[in-house]
Amino acid sequence: MASELSRRGFLIQGAALGGSLLLGGGLLSGCQDDKAATGHRASVQSTTPQYGGRLRMGIIDGSKAGDLDAHKPTTASAIIRGFALYSKLWEWSEHMTPDLALAEEVEVNDDATLWTIRLKKDLEFHHGKTITADDLIFSTRRLSDPELASPYLGYVKWIDRDNLVKLDERTVQIPIRGGTGLLSLPDAWVNFGGIVPVDYHPVTNPVGAGPFRLKEFVPGQRSVFTRFENFYKSGQPYLDELEIIDFKDEYARISALLSGQIDMANGVAPEQITALKRHEAIQVITNQTHGFQSIDLNLSLPPFQDDRVRQAFRLMIDRQEVIDRALAGQGRIANDLYAPLDPTFNSAIPQRQYDPEQARSLIKQAGYEGLTVELTVGPGLSAVAGGSPVAQVFAAQAKKIGVNIKVNQVDAATFGGPKRADWQLSCNSKLGGSFLHTAATVDSFLSSANKTHFADERFDALFRQAISTKDLEKRTPLVHEAQQIQHEKGGLIIWSYVNTLDLAAKHVGGLTPERSHFPTWRFDKLWLNQSV
Amino acid sequence: MQNLELKDFSSVTPARISLPAKAGPIALGLAEAAEHTGPPPSHVRKKSIVSANLLKWIVKRTLSSILGLFAISILVFVATQALPSDPARVILGPEASEEAIQTLHHQLGLDQSLAAQYGHWIKPALLGDFGISIDSKMPVVDLIAGKVKNTLILLGLTLLVLIPAAFTLGIYLALHKDALLDRLTISFLIFVKAVPSFAIAYGLVMLLSTLVFNLFPAVSLIQANQPLWSQLQFMVLPMLTLVLSSLPYLVRLIRGSLIEVLQSDFIISAHLRGLDKKQIIWKYAIPNAVIPAIQAIALISSVLLGGALVVEVVFAYPGIGSALNAAVDIRDIPVIQAVVIFLASGVMAINLLADVVTVLLTPKLRTA
Repeated sequence: MASELSRRGFLIQGAALGGSLLLGGGLLSGCQDDKAATGHRASVQSTTPQYGGRLRMGIIDGSKAGDLDAHKPTTASAIIRGFALYSKLWEWSEHMTPDLALAEEVEVNDDATLWTIRLKKDLEFHHGKTITADDLIFSTRRLSDPELASPYLGYVKWIDRDNLVKLDERTVQIPIRGGTGLLSLPDAWVNFGGIVPVDYHPVTNPVGAGPFRLKEFVPGQRSVFTRFENFYKSGQPYLDELEIIDFKDEYARISALLSGQIDMANGVAPEQITALKRHEAIQVITNQTHGFQSIDLNLSLPPFQDDRVRQAFRLMIDRQEVIDRALAGQGRIANDLYAPLDPTFNSAIPQRQYDPEQARSLIKQAGYEGLTVELTVGPGLSAVAGGSPVAQVFAAQAKKIGVNIKVNQVDAATFGGPKRADWQLSCNSKLGGSFLHTAATVDSFLSSANKTHFADERFDALFRQAISTKDLEKRTPLVHEAQQIQHEKGGLIIWSYVNTLDLAAKHVGGLTPERSHFPTWRFDKLWLNQSV
Repeated sequence: MQNLELKDFSSVTPARISLPAKAGPIALGLAEAAEHTGPPPSHVRKKSIVSANLLKWIVKRTLSSILGLFAISILVFVATQALPSDPARVILGPEASEEAIQTLHHQLGLDQSLAAQYGHWIKPALLGDFGISIDSKMPVVDLIAGKVKNTLILLGLTLLVLIPAAFTLGIYLALHKDALLDRLTISFLIFVKAVPSFAIAYGLVMLLSTLVFNLFPAVSLIQANQPLWSQLQFMVLPMLTLVLSSLPYLVRLIRGSLIEVLQSDFIISAHLRGLDKKQIIWKYAIPNAVIPAIQAIALISSVLLGGALVVEVVFAYPGIGSALNAAVDIRDIPVIQAVVIFLASGVMAINLLADVVTVLLTPKLRTA
C-alpha cells in the first residue's frame, strides 16, 4: 500500500512544490510547440459549452490540507484551488508556455533586468474593485516578501521589491536583481502569482480575480466556489458552482467517480486506468507532459565520485522496462535531460542506450565489484515523489550486473527534511518546466536542495549567461552546451517523461489532452452537458 | 499501512476488574432468597453509603485522569520534537530555501526552548484555545470540532447496532452450544475476523454501492453545514464495516462467558433447587456474563474513537483518526496536541463509565 501511495502520489502531489517549477520556456520566444497534444479523445460530444451546474472534482493530496494563500500554496490542492480563485498575469497554454492573461502587454529589456507590465483594461476583483497598478505592486511585494516565508522565495527573491515603479494606473515597472532576469517572471508566477487587491488577506479576505469566488472552505475536506460574473474572459466560466473534494485514497476517489458522487478526477494512477478505459460513462484524458522521473546520484559521495560508476548507473537502467512495469507504460524514454518542450532543448544529443555489459565492465574497472548502495524513496505525499515500484524495478536490474541496491523507504517529512540533499541515491520527480526554471531547482548553483551536488564551472557560466539573455537565438546555443555537459557529467538519471491521466464522466465538457499537466484545472473552460 | 488496521482485540483480556463468575450477583441473590425469612436489609441506608463511596471514587478517578492528561500532553509534545524534520520544513517542502525555512521557524516559535514552546501552548489551551493549525491557518478547535462530531456519531451508531447484535447472537449461540448453527456461525465469525477491515470495507463498497447493488454512496462526502441526520446514508457503509470488524470478538466473548457461567456451581445448584430454567438464564446467568462484555465494549469504543482510520480512508469519512494521522505526517503540532488530548479524555471517560457500570452491576464491589 505504501508503494501504491507513492505511485499515485507522484502525479498529483508532485505538483505541490514542483508546481513552482511549472513553466514553459517560451514567453520571450513566442514558442509554439509543433508536436500535437496527444492522447486519445475519449468521446465525441457536443462542443458548444452549456451554462450551469455544479462540477465536482476529486483530488488526492496526501496529508497536507493546505490553505487559500494566493502566493504561498504549499500543496497541490492549494495550487488547484488557486486556479479557481486567482487570475495571474500569465496562464499556461496547452503547450505549457505562459500566455498573457491579466497582462495586456509585457516588455522586457535585453538582459531582462527590467520588466514593464501593463494590465488589461477594466479588470475587476470578486468584490467589485477595479484592478489597478497599486494591486499589481501590492501583489508583487507580497509574493516576494521574505517574511511570507514562501517555498518559492528562491525564484522571487530577485525581484527588486523596494524599487517597483508605477508608471500609470495600469502599468508597473519591475526591476530584477542578480542577473537572473528570466527566473522570476513569468513562469514562476503562473502558479503562485495571483493578482490580489490591496485589502487581501488569505484567511479573512481571500479575494482574487479568478473564474470563481469562494463560498466555503473546509480544510482537508472540500471547498466550494461560485461563478464570478465579471471574469475577465467574457462569457466564461460556464459552471454555476465548482466543488473540489479532498480524498485520501485512490480507490475511494474512483468509486466516487463510478457511483456519480464526483464528475472528474485529475492525475489518476496509471494502474487504475486499464479497467476504466472500457467504461462507457468515463472519459480518459492522456496528457503527454514533460514532467519527468529521475534517480539522483549524489556526486559528492562514494561511489559516485568515480565517473565510471556514475556512467555505469546510467547505462544499467533499462528505461523501457521501468516505464512498462512501474508506470504501467504511461511514459516516454528520456535521455537524462529535462525540459524537452523548451525551444532551447538540445535534441541532437543521442539517446543513451541500455548497456548492461558496458556497465558491468565500468564497475569492474572502478574496482567496485559487489557494490552496495542505498536508494532512498519518499512516499510521494509531498513535493517530490519517489515511488518504490521504480526503486524495486531498478534494484532488480542492478542485481543483474552485480550491484546491490538497498531500498530505503522514508516518510515525506524525512525525505524532504534536513538530510534532503544527503541521500546517496534517491528517486525524484518534477512537473514539466523550462530549462532555466528546472535547472534553478534541480542541479544549478541556484538550487537550494541540489541532491546530485552537480557542480561544473562551465555549466554555471553558461547557465548564468542564459538566464539573463532574452534573445532566444542567442540563448539556444548556451543551453545546448549546458545540456551537453549535463548529459556527460550530470548526476541525474532522467529515465522517463511521464503521461498524466485524468478521468471524467462523459458529461464533462471542455476537457482535451494537453502537453501541460492540468486540463482539469481550467475551470473557466469546463462545462457540464446536462442533456447527457 | 499497519496503522490502518483495526486493533486485534482478541489478545486483550477485558477483565481488568477481575470478577470470578461464581461470586456474582446471582450468588448474592440466592443468598438473599435463602435469607428471605430474616430481618429485611435496610436498603435505603445502605444505598446512600454506597453512592457516597462511589461518588468519592469517581471524583478521585476524574482527578487522576486530569493529571494523566497533563502528563500525556507533555509526553506528546516531547515526542513531536523527536520526530525527524519539523513543521517548517514539512510545510515548505523539500525545495524551499534555508532562509525561508529559518523565517518560518522563527514565526512558528520553533527556535524557542522546548519549555517555552510548551508554556505558550498550555496557557491558552487551559482556556480552551488550542491555537492555529500550521497547515491550514485555521483555529484548531474549528478545524477538529466537526471531525470530533462525525467520529462520535459514527461511534454511537456503531455501538447502537453492535451491542444488540452481539448480545443477541452471543446469547443465542451460548444457549445452543455445539449445535450446527453455533458451529457454522463461529466458523463464519472467525473468517470475518481474519479478513482485514479494509478488505471488508472494499467488499462492502463493491457489494452495496458499485458493482452489485447501488444502494448506498461509495464515499461519505458529509456536508459540514447540513445536519447529520439528513445524511445518514453516508454512515451506513462505514458503520457496517466497523460493526463487522468488531462483532466476532464481542460475540465470542459473550458466548464464552455465558457458557462458563452456565456451567458454574451456583447455576447448577440453582437448577438443583428447582428454579425455573428461563429464570436462571435471564435473571442469574446473563447478568453475570455481561460484566466482561462491558469492559470489552469499553475497549472497542476506545479503539474506534481514534482508530477508525481504515474507514476514514476508504470512505473518505471526515473523522478524527485521519486528522491525527495527517497532522503527525506533517508535524502540525497544535492539531496533534488537540486531537491527542481529545482522544485521551475520551478513553479515560469511557473507561471510567465502564468501571462505574461494572461496579454497579457487581454487589460485592458496590458494597465494598
